[in-house]
Amino acid sequence: MTKSIKQTFFYSHKPEAVWEYLTKPELIAQWLMANDFKPVVGHDFKFTARPMPAFNFDGIIYCKVLELVPNKKLVYSWKGGPKPGTITLDSTVEWTLVPKDNGTELLLEHHGFATDDAMLQIFTVMDAGWKQNIAKVAELLKNR
Amino acid sequence: MRQAQLDAFQVIADPSRRHMMHLLSKDSMTINALAENFNMSRPAVSKHIKIMYKAGFISIQDIGRERHCVLKQEGFNEVQNWINYFDKFWETKLKKLENLLNEKTKK
Repeated sequence: MTKSIKQTFFYSHKPEAVWEYLTKPELIAQWLMANDFKPVVGHDFKFTARPMPAFNFDGIIYCKVLELVPNKKLVYSWKGGPKPGTITLDSTVEWTLVPKDNGTELLLEHHGFATDDAMLQIFTVMDAGWKQNIAKVAELLKNR
Repeated sequence: MRQAQLDAFQVIADPSRRHMMHLLSKDSMTINALAENFNMSRPAVSKHIKIMYKAGFISIQDIGRERHCVLKQEGFNEVQNWINYFDKFWETKLKKLENLLNEKTKK
């Protein structure tokens, strides 16, 4: 089971160029979503996407800039839910830029889906655990 | 009044429910045995169990006179669906960014 998202992309452009596309609202909008981002730690902003009722998601992603190191690193929170004021998805998006071969290696990590370590642990044991539990119940039923 | 159905993230957002699922990840338990681990009223425990049951995180099996709670895959799949969705989402977006950057260089 995947518990977080990690993607690495290589762009044959300098980190400064990639950074612009991560931090200028009009440039972000061109590839990601409409937004009111500002490159200031603590700034609250929103991404506006299509609502997805099947996912209990109203289409607005509430974010806050948590960390910012120009041309190197950008971290923001990424929260959403079925309606304004109700947050059910509480995650974090982390961008890391590394200069490489005249270009940039861009690493994206989107984590926090499993909310905390206890939950991660449950996820980890889920696959083995639930089969075992079902076997146990079957055993109990047999001995009834 | 009908209790609103909670989605997977609302279900796992509650620390008591997470603790319950953690206990159940080790072994199936009767509702009574589960309740013994918590400093809350029996109705409160039942309410959490009902929420987890409705969202597909556990199943309840009647064995003799006891009700056993068993962890279930379904609820976890919904969380997994979100993760899969965003994985695909980012891949598409990052490719789009690549095209944009390349176009810009050509100009």
